[in-house]
Amino acid sequence: MKINQKIFLQFGICIIFFGLIGILINNLTINLIRTGLGFNFSWLFKPASFALAEHPLPYTSSDSYAWALFIGWLNSLKVIVSSLILATLLGTLIGFARTGKNSLLGLISAGYITTIRQTPLLLQLMFWYFVGFLGLKDNMFIQIKNIFNISNQGIEFSGLIFSSEFLALLLGLSIFTSAYIAEVIRGGILSVGRGQWEAFRSLGLSERKGLIRIILPQALPAIIPGLTSQYLNLAKNSTLAIAVGYSDIYAINDTIINQTGRAIECFIILLVSFLLLNLLITNTMEIINRLILKSRKNI
Amino acid sequence: MRRLVSGIVGLAALLAGCATTNQDNSSRLNLIKNRNELICGVSGKIPGFSFLKSDGSYQGLDVDICKAFAAAIIGDSGKIQYRPLTAAERFTAIKTGEIDLLSRNTTFTLSRDSTGGNGLTFAPVVFHDGQGLMVKKESKISSLQDLANKSICVGSGTTTEQNINDAFESASLPYTPIKYQDLNQVVAGYLQGRCSAMTSDRSQLAAARSGFKNPKEHIILDDVLSKEPLAPASDGQDQKLADAMRWVVFSLISAEEQGITKSNIDEKVKIAKNNPQLKPLRRFLGVDGGLGEKIGLSNDFVVKVISSTGNYGEIYERHLGENSEVPIPRGLNELYNKGGVHISPPFN
Amino acid sequence: MNSIIVFIKNLKKTLFPNLFNTIITLLITLFISVVCFNTFAWLIFKANWKVVISNLPLYAFGSFPLNEQWRPASWIISLLLLSIFTICGPEWKWLRKNLLILWVGTIPLGLYLLYGGLGLSPIMSRHWGGLTLTILLTVFSSLLSLPFGIVLALCRQSSLPLIQKLSSIYIDVMRAIPLIAVLFFGQLLIPLFLPVGIEIDRVWRAIFAFTLFVSAYIAEDIRGGLQSIPNTQIEAANSIGLNQYQIIQFILIPQALRIALPALTNQSIGLFQNTSLMAILGLVELLGVGRSILANPEFIGQYIEVYVWLACVYWIVCTIMAVLARHLEQRMTINQANF
Repeated sequence: MKINQKIFLQFGICIIFFGLIGILINNLTINLIRTGLGFNFSWLFKPASFALAEHPLPYTSSDSYAWALFIGWLNSLKVIVSSLILATLLGTLIGFARTGKNSLLGLISAGYITTIRQTPLLLQLMFWYFVGFLGLKDNMFIQIKNIFNISNQGIEFSGLIFSSEFLALLLGLSIFTSAYIAEVIRGGILSVGRGQWEAFRSLGLSERKGLIRIILPQALPAIIPGLTSQYLNLAKNSTLAIAVGYSDIYAINDTIINQTGRAIECFIILLVSFLLLNLLITNTMEIINRLILKSRKNI
Repeated sequence: MRRLVSGIVGLAALLAGCATTNQDNSSRLNLIKNRNELICGVSGKIPGFSFLKSDGSYQGLDVDICKAFAAAIIGDSGKIQYRPLTAAERFTAIKTGEIDLLSRNTTFTLSRDSTGGNGLTFAPVVFHDGQGLMVKKESKISSLQDLANKSICVGSGTTTEQNINDAFESASLPYTPIKYQDLNQVVAGYLQGRCSAMTSDRSQLAAARSGFKNPKEHIILDDVLSKEPLAPASDGQDQKLADAMRWVVFSLISAEEQGITKSNIDEKVKIAKNNPQLKPLRRFLGVDGGLGEKIGLSNDFVVKVISSTGNYGEIYERHLGENSEVPIPRGLNELYNKGGVHISPPFN
Repeated sequence: MNSIIVFIKNLKKTLFPNLFNTIITLLITLFISVVCFNTFAWLIFKANWKVVISNLPLYAFGSFPLNEQWRPASWIISLLLLSIFTICGPEWKWLRKNLLILWVGTIPLGLYLLYGGLGLSPIMSRHWGGLTLTILLTVFSSLLSLPFGIVLALCRQSSLPLIQKLSSIYIDVMRAIPLIAVLFFGQLLIPLFLPVGIEIDRVWRAIFAFTLFVSAYIAEDIRGGLQSIPNTQIEAANSIGLNQYQIIQFILIPQALRIALPALTNQSIGLFQNTSLMAILGLVELLGVGRSILANPEFIGQYIEVYVWLACVYWIVCTIMAVLARHLEQRMTINQANF
């Protein structure tokens, strides 16, 4: 009887759930027919007829919408990966400073963390872009022998050009995420027993060496899951690129919706591209985690 | 258990009922009248056309066009709900019925007008614009050719973006587009020197320049990249609403042709009533002829419109005239008999 | 005198223990003084605060009708007073006990003051804007997502495989997509899923979208709380004859909520900041108002002042929320100790 009831309950929920979905889809089809929008993906292969400032692969405005979207996805990936690295470095440094002995440094990093965490990322991005990068006047070149060149057009480093949109996004995302990563690192370091600190100190290791060689490896298992979720947040936050004029996947979707009116199709594409990005990040972190566990076993 | 099942069935039936009823084919015009309020999509971020004033009200040419529609349809130019819309939202908002009509300086193009495209219908053009480029005087840039390999600030997803691309591509000049979401950001990017030039409709360039600290240090190039006829729009499947909108705009122009203004409208109505021989004036003001009823409005809709917003010339003077905050020479937007292109078909 | 010497010694020990730390300390002091000097110079001499001062009512209330602005104003002020009272108010027992009721009471009060009716002239939600709208979005979205999140968390722990699968899929998908996509869905796509003729106001659509998004995160936080409750408690509850719903209601949820409290308060602070994304989608909340004001020909190009001002407002409100949250956490631990 009990099992029967369970099956009935599930069956009932199943009916409600699929009934609801059915009704929603029914509404959608009625609306799509009524508004004449329709649902198909054939437009993907028509020429996009808009230009992009940044494209890691060759792109012209006569390429297809699909190619433009792929370029946008690559742009997203580019900014995510680079700010992921920068944020980790910055976050680790701040996390160390927060747990270290220098009280001024500790105070400042605590202030940094609270300030960054209590203002919206969108506002920070706009600030970095319009005030930070565009504030550099173009007659105020900082130039070092044509190798390194910084202006409000961006940074040129031995032939490589990074636009100020990319840099502002990179900086904003990294600084924002680093405040969260610092807390993750601090939590990890604090999770290592006091005894370990005393042990390496009594062995005569310096603070820095002890922290890097003894404490950090033990803190890593506690740090990795927190890091993964911060990385995922960073990936999601990168969609705010639209506020600083960087052509990421969301910005390109937005342009295409405006040109073609294909909101539903573009939304589906956006979802799929983000699920792909997520899979990429979680799987990479999984591999890193496994490597760390393996190396620990070898010790 | 049985209660659960019957509950589910009931719920499903209710929702299914919701999905299929309410499919009336009546015009939005009746909906607006019943609601006693017009929902008007505006930009809210374009100086001179629609922007938020310090007292919280919207102001500008686009806003006054909304007011004219509300005066004609409802009889009260105050009964409007303004919806600030981004460029990406505007067409979806019309198609889903979120707004009744759009008065958000939208360019009249084939693909937007057609059923195979965005499926809208456009009212007559309320502002003839053209896309231009603004540069700093000190940059010594004087033509499109000088902008090769430079970066240009542009609002994303607009016809502006396509036009600039077409112009540079057909001249086979390489350039870097820096795309922003709205005009403020385009202005900020340009002023901060991110781009050598900014592009937008020439009216918007002029409007933005009027707010700069040193307007004289910026010039608008002579190159006109495109025609930008800006017009209000509504859902293409609603003929009645489109008709009403079309003739409200024409009434603004026609009133200017006939010299009927906000201050003399009462007098003109009196004249029309007392002089049966002034047939065209009597028809125009709805004293006889019953023209308003044919488009689903009251016969004296012109009187209501003119007494609340004034004629087209008055609206223009108020927001874009010489003494306004955003002075733009009338140029193409003069009446046809004064060198412009605005003309109204006869009210017969 | 002695204490000063000790203080200086301590300072020397923490700031200048060796050459490396001394250099760092000096560099930081130099950097901070340069930054502070420049910032103050800009704040006082270069900035033109007219764009902020002459538009204060817009930032606070959006385009709420001028002669009705006392309504949102009194709501915000009552929230502020209540916060101050909660944090540092006197120990009046009868008031303290009813604090929760007071807090809950601010919600219908806010709705009544904003919507009007019953003696007040009705105001449509199109007039809502500025800080009022930002707070409204935060309060309603977090209130709605809490029960929804609890249900999702319980479903994910459920023994029925179908329910468990469905809620897991929902939570995982929601957590994988960016907030702006969900908000975009709320603003542009929800109307397409509704039957013809039925409309939901765009403010409520935004609240709905935020709720969809945040409840997935809340569900995960609460699941963490649920998992940390030892199984022995459920067995004990079973043995004294509580049924399943009673166990959920009296044993699981209160404890899970208490454990998840810090995470939950962080979610609501995050939510407050994230309401700024609605500016990209055309709602005139705090950031949206700022961007609209910048289109006024009078204020073109004064974005730095606006951004700095908005950052301050967000920071202040977030700090108040954080202090309140810490206060709440402390009270909760005290209550627990009293058990």
